[in-house]
Amino acid sequence: MSTAAAAHPPYSMPRVTLGRAGTATLLLLPIALVNAMGFIVPVLNLLRMSFYEALAGGGIRETFTLASWSGLFRDAFYVDLIVNSIVVSLSITFATLLVSYPIALYLHRSSGRWRTFLTVLVISPLLTSAVVRTYGWIALLADQGPIVGSIAALGFTPPRLMFNTTGVVIGLTEILMPYMILSLLAGFGRLDPRVEEAAMTLGARPSQTFWRVILPLTVPGIALGCLLCFVLAVSSFITPKLLGGGRVFLLATEIYDQAIVTLNWPLAATLSMLVLIIFGAALAVYARVLRVIE
Amino acid sequence: MSKLCTLLAVSGVALAISSPAFAETVTLAAYSGIFQDHYTKAVVEPFMKANPNIKIEFYGMPNSAQMLGTLRAQKAAPQIDIVIMDVSVAKAGTDEGLFDKIDESVSKNVADLYPAARAEGVGGVAVTFDNLVLLYNKEQVKTAPTSWNALWDKQYAGKVTIPAVPDIQGTTLTIIANKMAGGDDYKKSVEAGIKKLGELAPNVQTWDPKPDVYTPIANGQAALGIGWNARAQVYADTSGGKLGVVLPQEGSGFQINMINLVKNAPQSAAAKTFIDYALKPETQAAFTEEMFYAPTNSKAKISPTALSRTAAGAMDKMIAIDWIAVAGIRDAITEQWRRRIIPLSR
Repeated sequence: MSTAAAAHPPYSMPRVTLGRAGTATLLLLPIALVNAMGFIVPVLNLLRMSFYEALAGGGIRETFTLASWSGLFRDAFYVDLIVNSIVVSLSITFATLLVSYPIALYLHRSSGRWRTFLTVLVISPLLTSAVVRTYGWIALLADQGPIVGSIAALGFTPPRLMFNTTGVVIGLTEILMPYMILSLLAGFGRLDPRVEEAAMTLGARPSQTFWRVILPLTVPGIALGCLLCFVLAVSSFITPKLLGGGRVFLLATEIYDQAIVTLNWPLAATLSMLVLIIFGAALAVYARVLRVIE
Repeated sequence: MSKLCTLLAVSGVALAISSPAFAETVTLAAYSGIFQDHYTKAVVEPFMKANPNIKIEFYGMPNSAQMLGTLRAQKAAPQIDIVIMDVSVAKAGTDEGLFDKIDESVSKNVADLYPAARAEGVGGVAVTFDNLVLLYNKEQVKTAPTSWNALWDKQYAGKVTIPAVPDIQGTTLTIIANKMAGGDDYKKSVEAGIKKLGELAPNVQTWDPKPDVYTPIANGQAALGIGWNARAQVYADTSGGKLGVVLPQEGSGFQINMINLVKNAPQSAAAKTFIDYALKPETQAAFTEEMFYAPTNSKAKISPTALSRTAAGAMDKMIAIDWIAVAGIRDAITEQWRRRIIPLSR
């Protein structure tokens, strides 16, 4: 009697079966709605704004003109600006990769409490805002700062480390390091210590092991980290603004100037769309890299 | 769903009836930071004491462009009644139909304003005059400079800080440099000024001082720079004698803040009462004594000490800058700076 009741519970909830596709749609619906309202609609607005006409003094006429777009490619300043943004962002990405890779590799190989401690150490800079860290760099790189001071004390003429591209690259490299390290770690899954041991057993020198075994196995992590850092570097605004000294013209700072100072919203919108196109291109390159290594 | 709607509607109504603790709340948008502190003390608080049924809500924003952006976004249903912003931005706002006209029917005081307080095609009228000044660090520059030429002095190479165009401090400096270099009418050409500023470029440490131009000069990171008089005077007092302010012998140019009445403002009548108060000679005098903006009302009585810290005593040396005309050539000036001035400082 009692076993029968347990096998067939008298009260059972009415079941609604949705099927896999239905469940997936239902689960995706909230985020799709949020994204549509918080991202797609504003981007479409921006796209429409980029075809408005900018009047002298900050006015906007709601018409359809290609003036902002064509002006971008006819004006050497903007061509330079775009090239410069990409080159500077690529340099920052490369520098970040170079300094983060050894740290990530060491972290990947460590274990236990030590690994937890180091991971917390890597993530801890993210607890401080980029503004505060940038002001920290201003104190370090200033003309009266410790770095310039030590170079001068050694008898060399110190180079200018701040208010130029050098300062922007130094500042952003440090600020983006946690993202790079975490992405590298996430992509190091295929790196099995036994493979390295096998290479050594077969007589490979440490450098050979690195170039022919470790590096190829960590490409997914490198690709992910570079994509993330490049995108963050192109869109970063506060660090170039504070460390660039008005000499470094980048897309993000120019968008700010056009939107907030000159009040040329159509041009600001056009530049924003251009940043989106650059992101699309970066994603395409990333997808291609992943396809090649698969 | 219908429950949610009810909830929203109820809380909306609750919000609507809970806010007017005073009969009318007027929202005034203007600069945040020290402008807000001093304007609140010298103008807003005395106004509320004199008009106990009107509450002024000061909505501080960092710059005029952001105010314009906010007004644009609220065009269908304005939340702001009054805005104090730079004249060229006020012109753009007027062109977009964001402002009502302020004339004698709004405030009798409009009749007493200086001629420069009214600009063609701008709905509002001037509420403050400010002017560009030379700033110096008193520890690094021992004798007070008397001329803008100090900026070009090679002994301060790498120690000069200039807010570059599109900031209008850079625009004003271009017009001053143009006059110094013997240039003719700046509205026709600023070629001479651009050339002269090209010679200044190698001295420049930063074209984008942060958080503002006054701080790095007061703390010694830079030795010389340019800034606005009113703020410079306040910071000179608070810097413990480190920041020096000079109105150079070659004169300077004015920056004008207009007070504007937002079209379809929710509290239009009370807003007009405040505008009338803000333009009164007594209010104008009080704000000049407080923050050293020159008054726009010709009947304002100012103490000689405060007056000497504004440009009011040197009117004959001032360059009359037509900011509405400058708005038309601003893009061209910016282009010249980026191609021919800033690259020379790399």
